[in-house]
Amino acid sequence: MSVAPEKPPREGKGAGRRIRRKSSLTSHGEPMVWLTGASLALCLVMISGLLGLVVYQGGRTFWPQEIVQVETLTGDVLMGQVSRVDTFTPSADALDALPDEARVRVEADMRANEGSVARRMLRTENFDLTGTHFDWIEESVIAAETKPEWAVVVERTAKGRFYGVPQAFLVDGEAHTVGSAATWGKFEEHHARILARVEQIHDLERDDLGHINSRIERQRLALREVELARGMESPEWIAKERETRALVEDAEREFVTITDEIGRLRTINDSFALRFETAGGGTAIVSLANIVRGTPVNRIGTAGKWSVYFDRWWEFLTADPREANSEGGVWPALFGTVMMTLLMTIVVVPIGVLAALYLHEYAKQGFLVGVVRVAVNNLAGVPSIVFGVFGLGFFCYIVGATIDDLFFGARLPNPTFGKGGILWASLTLALLTLPVVIVATEEALSAVPNSMREGSYACGATKWQTIWRIVLPRAQPGIMTGAILSIARGAGEVAPLMLVGAVKLAPDLPVDLGTFPYLFPERSFMHLGFHIYDVGFQSQNSEAAKPMVYTTTLLLIAIVVLLNFVAIAIRARLRRRFLGART
Amino acid sequence: MSDLNPPTDPERMKTQLPARATRPRNADAKPAASGAEKTRARPGGLFECIAEGRQFESVVHPDAGHDEAVVEIVDFRLWYGETQALHDISFSVPKGKVTALIGPSGCGKSTLIRCVNRMNDLVDSVRVEGQMKLNGDAIYGKGVDVIELRKRIGMVFQKPNPFPMSIFENVVYSLRIDGVRDRHALEEVCESSLRGAGLWDEVKDRLKDSALALSGGQQQRLCIARAIAAEPEVLLLDEPCSALDPIATGRIEDLIDDLKGLYSVLIVTHNMQQASRVSDNTAFMYLGRLVEYGPTETLFLSPSLRETEDYVTGRFG
Ligand SMILES: Nc1ncnc2c1ncn2[C@@H]1O[C@H](COP(=O)(O)OP(=O)(O)OP(=O)(O)O)[C@@H](O)[C@H]1O
Ligand SMILES: [Mg+2]
Repeated sequence: MSVAPEKPPREGKGAGRRIRRKSSLTSHGEPMVWLTGASLALCLVMISGLLGLVVYQGGRTFWPQEIVQVETLTGDVLMGQVSRVDTFTPSADALDALPDEARVRVEADMRANEGSVARRMLRTENFDLTGTHFDWIEESVIAAETKPEWAVVVERTAKGRFYGVPQAFLVDGEAHTVGSAATWGKFEEHHARILARVEQIHDLERDDLGHINSRIERQRLALREVELARGMESPEWIAKERETRALVEDAEREFVTITDEIGRLRTINDSFALRFETAGGGTAIVSLANIVRGTPVNRIGTAGKWSVYFDRWWEFLTADPREANSEGGVWPALFGTVMMTLLMTIVVVPIGVLAALYLHEYAKQGFLVGVVRVAVNNLAGVPSIVFGVFGLGFFCYIVGATIDDLFFGARLPNPTFGKGGILWASLTLALLTLPVVIVATEEALSAVPNSMREGSYACGATKWQTIWRIVLPRAQPGIMTGAILSIARGAGEVAPLMLVGAVKLAPDLPVDLGTFPYLFPERSFMHLGFHIYDVGFQSQNSEAAKPMVYTTTLLLIAIVVLLNFVAIAIRARLRRRFLGART
Repeated sequence: MSDLNPPTDPERMKTQLPARATRPRNADAKPAASGAEKTRARPGGLFECIAEGRQFESVVHPDAGHDEAVVEIVDFRLWYGETQALHDISFSVPKGKVTALIGPSGCGKSTLIRCVNRMNDLVDSVRVEGQMKLNGDAIYGKGVDVIELRKRIGMVFQKPNPFPMSIFENVVYSLRIDGVRDRHALEEVCESSLRGAGLWDEVKDRLKDSALALSGGQQQRLCIARAIAAEPEVLLLDEPCSALDPIATGRIEDLIDDLKGLYSVLIVTHNMQQASRVSDNTAFMYLGRLVEYGPTETLFLSPSLRETEDYVTGRFG
């Protein structure tokens, strides 16, 4: 009765009002729409730019590019694959060093392009012959460019790639073929068998010799244990000592047999080789056992290129790294990353959920709980390297050293658990991601309506029954969100890992189904994130390593996305199961 | 349908009694009371007397006390921290009958009913004095096993609160937490409880579906089924229909009628029609005190106190 409905303003007043409104920017909706929209667009551009770059660069690493042979005006002949194209401004000295004809051309080029010259980077490799991996060539000094039909890029087990045209197939130094086609045919015929032998040698070295070594090692440890327990010269020790000596003699005999076998296989492999003609006109001989893959790129056509592309991806995912990690595969790093992340999740989710349950369901809400909550939240903001230092100081040097003292005394002074390892790395990351899980779980718990708890208590349920049957199922999707966030955070973390167990090279996986006790949580491991750092910044041939950096990054992103997808799928299933069709 | 929205519906009560409903014994209460007094109540009436915290005797009609009591409340007092919410309440809930608790919003009906199964233990600041008895066993006191006690009492809340699980699991929840695993026994209890709650025909084909997919009225009947599955000695209903539409309300009222005789029911309601329709006895509370308690008929047709009459006829406020 007191508030009458507002009447539309009359002429004069209304006009004044309208003018006032127009003067205020915020009274219009549009500017804010544009501002917020622009911010979102900026975010999207950044994200898609990042993804686009990584996917593009990482995806093309394994694509076999055509091999070109160029002849320069100075008379050099180079063969290789173009890895980069850009422009630069040559210095006066460099110009003077050029022969006349070339200088004239370069200067003309410079005039046409405002002082800069186009150039390309050619991956020429043949490092053992030339001492370089890459060469810059100015476009204007190229006299002739060809794509030799039989140019072959060879990926070798050592010393990088090799470019050349096959000339002859050598058996024990004697040429068995003449001409590229025949030679290459012969190569393809023999190569698979030779690779099989290389594999066999590898197995013998790693598994058979490895087993003998670990048997001797175990025996030595047993002997040392007896020595520590009973002292030297005790009858037990003497008996054990005799046993050990017998075992070592046995092992040495086996050792000799296996090394002989390895020698035999090596000799067979070494008798096969290929003679290549290199770009400069010289020849070079490459042993077949050193060749991982040879591709006559200019001949194979698109289908052949795709096949090589996928073959190299497969090698990347499943093989051990070669050549200081810059070639070959990343299998140990892939395995290490996934295993560490899973271990971390298995540790952090139950602990985090239980802690959150105590904070939210059991603890009397008061000042102290508030302090704990703030502390947990702040823990999420602590720089990750701090956790690394803590992990090293606490897990490795205190817990690990204690375990060594108690259980691995015989191996001392070599540490077993008293150094970085996948277990300590997982625990460190679990600590790092604990706040994420606690906060997410607490949020999920507060989202469970109190009426549900009351209903359960009214039925005569105890506190734990209520939590277990009502609260946790209801909160499960939220808890999974916490797990997802922690996986995303943990899988991408590198800095703390460098302190607690991630290493450059660790071909021995933490899981070995051939050796008792199958799980080796104390072993150091490789990690994709650390691998990226190592390949990108620690390898001598950084230009060749660059594509691998992108590819490994692509893989790391894919792994994180995949782990997240799995967790999201699980969450969606839980949601459907517990919440039914509605709500 | 209009008679289901009588002048005494909760919304109106709340708007008319803001100060008192939320803050009993507040200084603001005075002008409001005197406003009422001018038109209807006697000078120095009972409500004024209660608001000022003076002593007074609740009127308990003798014919309400004949039956055997299932819940007996003796001199019960309760404090939320420093504020006393219940003052010297004494009456008994007869076995096999429906007892209604009425009174303006904030007078302590929920507080009282939640004391019967000790749900107030969940509130940190609560302190009680006096005694309650369930079939002769003390509810308060040392050595009382609250979990066991709650198993003997069923409760249904204002808002339906089905658990996030299947209909079947909801109904047999109290058996589950007792560790009953016998499938056959569970199914039997599920069916009889759902039949008891008048829900069986509607859900018998979808017992495995989530209970959250049911309508509000169905959910509330499911909660009743859950409450009677454990064969409680007394059933507490705290405004079971306030979140429901008139049709669903009617079904629940019919259901309470059916439960009469089988179960002893204590029901809180704001709806006078509902109280008069379903209950045998009625207790009228005001600002944490029991004002008048007696057979529903007496209380509604010839109450001893003028205030009770004003309240039940909707002239109070
Ligand atoms: N948890 C609590 N802490 C403190 N005071 C409370 C608490 N619960 C209820 N009260 C107070 O106790 C008094 C009685 O509340 P109660 O909920 O029992 O009223 P009610 O009669 O059920 O009201 P309504 O009809 O609105 O449900 C009110 O003044 C209320 O503010
Ligand atoms: Mg209430």
